[in-house]
Amino acid sequence: MVFSFFKKPDSALDHIAHTTISMLGDARHSFDLASTVILSGADPKAIGADIEATDERINKAEQDLRSELVVHVAVQGGGDIGLVLGYTLLLKKIERIGDQAKNIFDLAADGVSLSNDDDIDEFVARRQEISQMYVEAADLLASHDDEKAKDFLARSLALNDICGAKVLEYMHTEQPGSWAVPRAVLYRYWKRIVANLAGIVTSAIEPVQNIDYLDDGATDITDD
Amino acid sequence: MPKLPPALARFFPLPRAVRAVLVLLLIYIFLIGVSSLEGGIKVMGKETQESLFSNVDHPLAGLFVGILGTVLVQSSSASTSVIVGLVASGALGVDAAVPMIMGANIGTTVTNTLVSLGHVRQSHEFRRAFAAATVHDFFNVMAVAILLPLELATNVLSDSAEWISGKMVGSAGTEWESPIKKWVKEPVNWLKDFLGNFTDNPTVLGTSMVIIGLVVVLSSLIFITKNMKTLIAERLERSMNAVLGRGGGFVAILIGMLVTVAVQSSSITTSILIPMSAAGVITLRNAYPVTLGANVGTTITALLAALAASRPEALTVGLVHTLFNVTAILLLFVIPIFRPVPIMLAEKLADVAVYKRMYAVGYVVGTFIVLPLVGVAIFR
Repeated sequence: MVFSFFKKPDSALDHIAHTTISMLGDARHSFDLASTVILSGADPKAIGADIEATDERINKAEQDLRSELVVHVAVQGGGDIGLVLGYTLLLKKIERIGDQAKNIFDLAADGVSLSNDDDIDEFVARRQEISQMYVEAADLLASHDDEKAKDFLARSLALNDICGAKVLEYMHTEQPGSWAVPRAVLYRYWKRIVANLAGIVTSAIEPVQNIDYLDDGATDITDD
Repeated sequence: MPKLPPALARFFPLPRAVRAVLVLLLIYIFLIGVSSLEGGIKVMGKETQESLFSNVDHPLAGLFVGILGTVLVQSSSASTSVIVGLVASGALGVDAAVPMIMGANIGTTVTNTLVSLGHVRQSHEFRRAFAAATVHDFFNVMAVAILLPLELATNVLSDSAEWISGKMVGSAGTEWESPIKKWVKEPVNWLKDFLGNFTDNPTVLGTSMVIIGLVVVLSSLIFITKNMKTLIAERLERSMNAVLGRGGGFVAILIGMLVTVAVQSSSITTSILIPMSAAGVITLRNAYPVTLGANVGTTITALLAALAASRPEALTVGLVHTLFNVTAILLLFVIPIFRPVPIMLAEKLADVAVYKRMYAVGYVVGTFIVLPLVGVAIFR
């Protein structure tokens, strides 16, 4: 450990950025596993340990990165304060979407399975769409490409609206509660995940005071 | 050096190689400052020298002068370098310098204690920050309480240091041909000749050289520290993260020492710990050994200053500083029964400080200003 002092230095913020992106990869892994269980009818017990371990890894990474951010400010002063505040918000969002994947898994663990239902194709397509958004969000954290970020935010807002509309649709359906409630809850979780992914991308491109807010500053886009 | 706004500094950073050369140049200027100090005292003549330093014959007076001087310049590196310069001039003996060096060790802790007062509005943060700052105070006061009487009774530190410096550069009372001394001698002679154009009075000439030497030593140390901090900021950050990841102990002492040697300032190392402690990311038990490493690391500056001196006694005093801090760690950190004492005392004091914030201010003013002033008045 002492020898780390003599190693070639690389930026601490670069290390934080890399770890943040790998946290997002872990969050996607949890999401894919949890959604697959609920949509494929796989045995939840078979992947419960993996989901649990991934969640612990995300939580530990968040705690370590928070400490590293404090050290960064203590050592480097306030020059990066905007970035540091942005990172604290961003890390919390990744931790939340990790938790939301766990919530989806809990639905499956409680016996919900949509694998044999008629509307399964719609759910599978939506799951793939959201899973791909994790990858895009990670790319945008690394590239800070404003144009792609704006496009991503527009699509995430549209998807958020779709998820919200689906929740309303299931609330008012004539179908029995055992059919409608799991679907409404799943869409509700997906809506929250999409909103947090949008928040993550916003934090990469917007000044810290604008994160979580739309341009007019009036509407909170974080749905937690 | 004009300071660029942070945004501009990011666009126009000084290349690392240029900054490294700048640091070497600053170290050279620092050594010229020490040499000018030494030369100035010599020019003043024996009578003035004796009248200047007769007040610190009593070891406790020396100790309190060491505290006050260091509090004044907020840097033990600077104050110990000045002490080394005085010893190099022959105006101050090793016996008188040793308590001053110990006082400098106590005085330097004021900086991080002042930094901790910045957290005074948040009770939880303040408790942790104040404890992290004062653990350094308690350790240094305990070290002096044990080692100063021992040194006065046995000369164990100064004899050991004299033995080592004897092996390295020759015995006391002789002159040694420091290679660095040769490099810094010429600029000091130029300064002396230049000032000699304005006055023939040895006291005025000597005082002018001493003042210029002091200014050069203090300002060069400030710029060395600033540049080194920039140069090693990433390493410093990684080292602190390593302390967080693996906990305290001897590795933390080594990291504290390495960082302080690099930035030439224990105050930088210990002050970085304060916001980390306040935020709760580092525990008091893990921060404590880093401060002990900083104590040892900061002695490098006096040793560096001794390189510009022509008398072995200057190196002896520098080595006393190192031996004092190493011995203090061996006594108070390695021996398990003593290890938790500074931590417990710091935690108790932090509880009192949180209970009544004015006590914290009273502690700082009392310990670092009033007590030393009273001590000097009594023991001079």
